[in-house]
Amino acid sequence: MTNTTSTDRHLALENSRVQLALSLEEVTKSYQGTPPVHALSEVSLSVEHGEFLGIVGASGSGKSTLLHVIGTLSRPTTGSVYINGWPTDGMSDAELSGLRAKHVGFVFQEFFLLSGLSAVENVANGLLYSGIGITERLDRSKQMLERVGLGHRLTHKPSEMSGGEQQRVAVARALVHEPSFVLADEPTGNLDSVSTDALMRLFYELNTEGTTIILITHDREVAEQFPRRVELKDGRIEFDSAYAGAS
Amino acid sequence: MSGKPVKLRSRLSFGDTLRVAVTGPRSRKLRSALSTLGITIGIAALVGVLGLSSSGSADLIRELDALGTNLLTIEKGESFGSNDAKLPTDSVRRIARIKPVYEVASVSKIPGGVYRNDRVDLGRTQGLTIFAADLNLLEAQRGIVADGIFLNEQLAEFPAVVLGSVAAERLGVREVTGNQSIWIENNWFVVVGVLEALPLAADLDRGAIIGHAAAARFLDEEYEPDVIYVRAFPEHILDVRSVMSATVNPEKPEEVEVSRASDVLEARAAAQSTFTNLFLGLGIVALIVGGIGIANVMVIAVIERRNEIGLRRALGATRFHIAVQFLVESLFLSGAGGVAGVFLGIVVTVVYALIQGWTVVVPSYAIIGGILSSFVIGGVAGLYPSLRAAGMSPTEALRTR
Ligand SMILES: Nc1ncnc2c1ncn2[C@@H]1O[C@H](COP(=O)(O)OP(=O)(O)OP(=O)(O)O)[C@@H](O)[C@H]1O
Ligand SMILES: [Mg+2]
Repeated sequence: MTNTTSTDRHLALENSRVQLALSLEEVTKSYQGTPPVHALSEVSLSVEHGEFLGIVGASGSGKSTLLHVIGTLSRPTTGSVYINGWPTDGMSDAELSGLRAKHVGFVFQEFFLLSGLSAVENVANGLLYSGIGITERLDRSKQMLERVGLGHRLTHKPSEMSGGEQQRVAVARALVHEPSFVLADEPTGNLDSVSTDALMRLFYELNTEGTTIILITHDREVAEQFPRRVELKDGRIEFDSAYAGAS
Repeated sequence: MSGKPVKLRSRLSFGDTLRVAVTGPRSRKLRSALSTLGITIGIAALVGVLGLSSSGSADLIRELDALGTNLLTIEKGESFGSNDAKLPTDSVRRIARIKPVYEVASVSKIPGGVYRNDRVDLGRTQGLTIFAADLNLLEAQRGIVADGIFLNEQLAEFPAVVLGSVAAERLGVREVTGNQSIWIENNWFVVVGVLEALPLAADLDRGAIIGHAAAARFLDEEYEPDVIYVRAFPEHILDVRSVMSATVNPEKPEEVEVSRASDVLEARAAAQSTFTNLFLGLGIVALIVGGIGIANVMVIAVIERRNEIGLRRALGATRFHIAVQFLVESLFLSGAGGVAGVFLGIVVTVVYALIQGWTVVVPSYAIIGGILSSFVIGGVAGLYPSLRAAGMSPTEALRTR
């Protein structure tokens, strides 16, 4: 069974948890109601620094829920989440917010750029809650926009940019504070195939340079290329390419 | 083992808090401007009303202070049965015996017409009255001579006349030259003085005032007081008033009417303050409506900007940061409305007061109170929406429908 293997690997890595960017231990997430929904069931997962992890699965399989739990936007019903080896269970809301501000970067399907702000101001929002002064925020954001190939679009508003460009602004925002990992929930979901290819190339480039990336996708083609692929079904990990050989 | 990382804290500086709070209204300018309109109108009404009433009553109060509230006016009353009620001839002497009284001046109304010259048609009296007056009338009234002099011992015996302000105007006397005469009951009287208006005895403004001696000599009138003006020490004015009728006419006190001239001015001030209160009430209603408008806009903003709230939480904002953002945004909207309202209220006050010829007074409590109350309203209006925004779960907030 895949679950057993994954638990074994987790146990094997327990002492070296510190080196992991992320580790989940038997995480369950349930939503109350009639009947109650078990969005995640006993999910254990470890991600090392520098990994590129793709998560796939049918709609409703719990992908977004998993990403939110990883990113500390929602707490697991049971089980534990460790980020850089730090246990998040006992952390207060304010501490979790601080953790996100400094160590987690999010990219969403809908970009979520603020329409009133320019590209560089939107990217600077990635540093807004980390206590860095405005001048440095803007400087670093400019560099980051150049890094994602939008150095010529600094002062443009989101409404003046294509979907692909907007998503690259969002990627720059997720990266500008140099997080421990980037979480992307269907980042190509609203893009055409050309923009999708460009964005995925950017993600691979960033990963080559050392950024840890966890990315959800619906897209079979996109999923094919993942160095490591995890498949979710009904809230359980059904397949993890890291152990494909072992099972 | 590894513990918590040190210094895991989200931070948002004061400057960034303000910057974040204005991004919302900045990207929805028209809606923001409209939402502050209620507050602007309410505050403008309050500042304008307070400013106008202070400007208006500043002059009234100054006038009251100058004229004093201790002047009593004694006239013959409306007695039942007989129409010929009179003030006793020795009234002045009797009144002077009341201890707190320090000034008593009587005037007698003399029937007859006052004319520019002897060729004017006798029917055209122009509503002017001949008064024979005691020489201390001007002191009792605290009147001011606009030009020339008032009657004195010598002039009182001569055909000399002092004109009230309205009388002078109607007779065409602009300045006292010493050789201008008017025609009073078939006698020429030389104009020796013109008075400023007497707000406490408007009758005298339409009067041609001569001495008692001259009245007896030229107009054949015997002394008989018709109106007596009494000044008493202010702290005893009510006591003096209560004994006045019986002092003047012990047999028939009901035939004596005593009034306090300043009551009229005070009634005017009171009427004005009733109006002020009415408009203040309206302004407060406008403020409440404005506050509800802001609360409404903020509630809508929180619903509309659900995704922004989720995004900010993902970027590291704490619940507190979210609450403060929306609270400051609400304070910003209503504060801007308040500042605009104060400005508008001052403009209205200045323009209206200048048109009325009043001294412009905008009380500082109106300005400070206007701005403070707009912030209080913004705080109250923003409280519920900001708590609601802060209470949203990030996962819920990030969901798109
Ligand atoms: N707040 C909630 N209350 C109840 N059930 C929920 C809630 N949020 C998610 N779910 C349920 O949890 C399950 C997993 O949802 P999730 O959004 O993680 O799916 P997903 O894999 O991201 O799907 P998609 O590919 O459509 O985005 C679904 O069945 C969903 O209906
Ligand atoms: Mg999803």
